[in-house]
Amino acid sequence: MKIFNLGDMNWNESQLIYHALAHKNIEGLVLHSTKDKFVCLGMPQNPKDELDLDYCNENGIKIFRREIGGGTVWLDRNQVFYSLILRRDNKDVPALPKHFFKKFLQPVIEACNELGLKAEYRPTCDLLVNGKKISGNGGGDIGDCKVMAGGLLLDFDYESMANVLRMSSDLRKKYLEAMKENMTTIEQEKQNYPSKEEIFSILREKFQDFLGPMQEATLGDEIKDMIKELDEHYSSDAWLYQRGVKNPGREIKVREGVYLFETEFDTKNGPVEILCETHEEHIQKITFSNPSLISPENRKNLEESLIGAEYDKRNIIYVISNVPGLQTDK
Amino acid sequence: MIEVSGMKFPLDRKYYTKNGAHIWLSVEDDIVKIGMDAFATEMTGLLTFLTITKKEVKSGDAIGSFESAKFVSRLFSPIDGEIVAINEMAMKNPRMVNEKPYDSWLVAIKPDNIENALNSEHILGTEEEISSWISQEMKRLEEE
Repeated sequence: MKIFNLGDMNWNESQLIYHALAHKNIEGLVLHSTKDKFVCLGMPQNPKDELDLDYCNENGIKIFRREIGGGTVWLDRNQVFYSLILRRDNKDVPALPKHFFKKFLQPVIEACNELGLKAEYRPTCDLLVNGKKISGNGGGDIGDCKVMAGGLLLDFDYESMANVLRMSSDLRKKYLEAMKENMTTIEQEKQNYPSKEEIFSILREKFQDFLGPMQEATLGDEIKDMIKELDEHYSSDAWLYQRGVKNPGREIKVREGVYLFETEFDTKNGPVEILCETHEEHIQKITFSNPSLISPENRKNLEESLIGAEYDKRNIIYVISNVPGLQTDK
Repeated sequence: MIEVSGMKFPLDRKYYTKNGAHIWLSVEDDIVKIGMDAFATEMTGLLTFLTITKKEVKSGDAIGSFESAKFVSRLFSPIDGEIVAINEMAMKNPRMVNEKPYDSWLVAIKPDNIENALNSEHILGTEEEISSWISQEMKRLEEE
């Protein structure tokens, strides 16, 4: 297998590289980072639904929509990336995503341990240190290969991450708080953290221990040409704004197991917005907008009946529709 | 209907198996509807995204993608033909495929040749074939 130690790359090339290798059917590990700041969406997402495009435009923030899964991520120079490209017919590649991530995130866990960070795998594809997310990952089939792409946070720009997403100011505030509570960085965990080069070196060693010896490789013309060809495709509006899932309301992952939901329900007397935080699919916190529609007593009853319950939108609608005050308090 | 390892497989349809695919096929007049079987929906977990990107399809071609567990997988066509309808309900709400895999068809394909469409070593239909295939699939996953 080949290893591409590519260091700082342009924003788009840092993503195009693993697409290009997969389309060329080249198995390899890429260790890299970016010198730019940009936002990267999973394939299922549409920037128009997901992002505050005005904010992105005004601040010169580029957008990349990758061909693999996972959510929207803020990427900049304070992160190190690893991308693993393996052929689908490789007998060592698990078929199921949960097995795939668990297996190939093991070297990253080992690298974290070597750095003095006690990392644990949190299904499906997060790594946590002291219960907080330090690494996010996504995967997918590209060409005849399976790809896992992820990164480790050296430092994280929480504000920029919150600002690029399309959401209400209330949700943005909650999201920012939730991120700070549920995410961590190498800098936060270790006062004197190693350089990117040292981290790449450890990642390289751990992946080699796991996958066997790798041959140092550089980007030849074949791969550079493929990057150029793919750049046209992935930067086109036709790809970027291709229809994705349009979720009613907003669902934002803070880390595996922790989500924020913002949803509007129509009632006879007007819309009610709810904002809730779920832990392991159960409602942890919930707030309702439009106070004039709900008396304080009914609000308290509603919150008591929903906190701790499993997050199920249909159940929330059912509970709300059965609050008499909701239709008469206006 | 048969049940293997707790998963149900109706015998009123056939199953496409090439390269780990788990696609059911149901013939209605000269149209073949396809969907994901119970093994696929059970093993991959909750579907969060489904899309179809092709119109003219060949057997074994990727016709679209689905996401589950942060992984975007390809969806393969079991036959040659033309996609004449897409189940938009399933595209908008992929969870219904998890909940009712056999009621949630994904696309309807008009085969190039209806007589030969289902004649393939990768398309199974008998109770014995399906039972043996799913048992092998379970064993394969246990070894991962």
